[in-house]
Amino acid sequence: MRLWNAARWLVLGPLVTVSLLPIFWMVVQAFKAEPDALSIGNPWWPDHPTAANFSVLFRESQFTGWMLNTVGVTVATVLISVAASLLAGFALAYLRVPYSRHLVLVFFATYLLPQGVLFIPLLRLLSRLHLLNSPWALVATYPSLVIPFGTWVLWSFFRRLPPDLVESAYADGAGAFGVLRHVLLPVIWPALGTIAVFAVAIVFNDYLYTTTFIQETSGQTLWGALGALVTADINNPGESFAAALLVAAPVALLCAFFADSFARGIGTGIIEH
Amino acid sequence: MVIPARRRRQGALAALFLAPAALLCLAPIAYALGLELWFSVTDAAPGTDGTFIGLANFQALAGLDSFWQMLQNTAVYITAGTLLKAVLGLAMALALASPFRGRRLVYAALFLPFIFPVVLGTIAWYFLFSNVHGGLDWLLLRAHLETQPVDWKGRLPLLSVVIVNVWHGSALFGVLLLAAMRSVPSDLLDAAAVDGANRARRFLHIVAPYLRPAAILGCLLSVLGNFGDFATVELLTRGGPLGRSQILSTYAFENALLAGALGLGAAVALVMIPVYVAALLIALRLVRD
Repeated sequence: MRLWNAARWLVLGPLVTVSLLPIFWMVVQAFKAEPDALSIGNPWWPDHPTAANFSVLFRESQFTGWMLNTVGVTVATVLISVAASLLAGFALAYLRVPYSRHLVLVFFATYLLPQGVLFIPLLRLLSRLHLLNSPWALVATYPSLVIPFGTWVLWSFFRRLPPDLVESAYADGAGAFGVLRHVLLPVIWPALGTIAVFAVAIVFNDYLYTTTFIQETSGQTLWGALGALVTADINNPGESFAAALLVAAPVALLCAFFADSFARGIGTGIIEH
Repeated sequence: MVIPARRRRQGALAALFLAPAALLCLAPIAYALGLELWFSVTDAAPGTDGTFIGLANFQALAGLDSFWQMLQNTAVYITAGTLLKAVLGLAMALALASPFRGRRLVYAALFLPFIFPVVLGTIAWYFLFSNVHGGLDWLLLRAHLETQPVDWKGRLPLLSVVIVNVWHGSALFGVLLLAAMRSVPSDLLDAAAVDGANRARRFLHIVAPYLRPAAILGCLLSVLGNFGDFATVELLTRGGPLGRSQILSTYAFENALLAGALGLGAAVALVMIPVYVAALLIALRLVRD
């Protein structure tokens, strides 16, 4: 048993180190003073740690703008996606929808469609709708990447619930909204959490949509702006790292603790429980 | 369950409930797919929908060395990335399978690269692999393993993007396999232990069959994800040097957005469709089982 435990840490030690290495490096840069950042010296430790990079953020409007854009887009994507998936999943599972089976398959197929396939025509569509160059372009498109997954997960979840749960509520005269609110919502919140984490992962891992649809710097998300800054060879990314960490770190950490239910959601219909 | 008297009202209600998903997801995707097909057979450019030119875009691509090199890179990127992620994900899942002190914390730390913004992670790796104040160089120079700074992402571009991709994506395999391990009935394992089966035999004969669907799902998501994985390559190497790390999505982006050839870019993006269809068929079989 002791041998087994040693083997475990022999595997986990390097894995955890490499996982956290780039994140640790970025945190170090965020605490480096301007002349220190990326200059000669130890790239792995701030010689004169300072919070100056963080205080700059709230004085310079471009950072505040990017942070607000990022938070706004994330919150909107999560709320819109969860709500739309919930309604669609409910309709497909409990209401009379023609070809509902086929529709479920359409949602599942859309879930697997790689993000890189459609960005060129979507650019044209957004331009026709006059949504380009603002965070609205992302609020309009990110949900299309989350809703198929969300609808699929919720539909499967509803189907696994005992049917009399909903039937008896209907028999008692409850309407669809009543059933959804009072009978289903209390039991499905883990599934909703999974969809929220999935939505955050979509927003946090995108660069294609944000750089394609938003060419004006003021409308960018933090990562869109940061990617442009870095490819333009800036010398002091400390402030940008500070801004990005301030927004990303708390959310990412929160989501990381939901990894378990997230995995079960991703494996819906495929991994048995 | 549907009550007959309510049928008509239910139809309206169902339409109302499905409307947001249809409007925000199915409609734009269907429209975009149609437009993409049209673009791919036209000479569309920014500001114009172009005129029909048949399969000229695809013929033009087939004649480009850069296109074939990109396809080869994409294949390497997808295969190497997926295999490495699967191996590391399995190691992760095995090490996390049974409870121990600090398990939750380790689990969260390992999942962090998946949810941490990939742009930030890639930028960090960019500076780790750089020869200018590079983090990796600093360590190697200190350890006297090299005598002068090396631009690792320039010397080994494809390997560099694979490493970042594996860093980012291994956790997805890990959590999927772990969830699958949890679904193994414990009495089955206990019975095998009582019968004298050792750890390796129990894994091979009892746990492994339960892991198969999760592993296949992980592979599908990794293959499809790497097709659309734009951030890593664009930020780390921009497909360079000399196209040595160009992959499908960066190639489509360059043609469509930087060169303005929307038709050519759309044709490149459509190359993903056959692989997507194959992956979808495998996934559907998994779901039906």
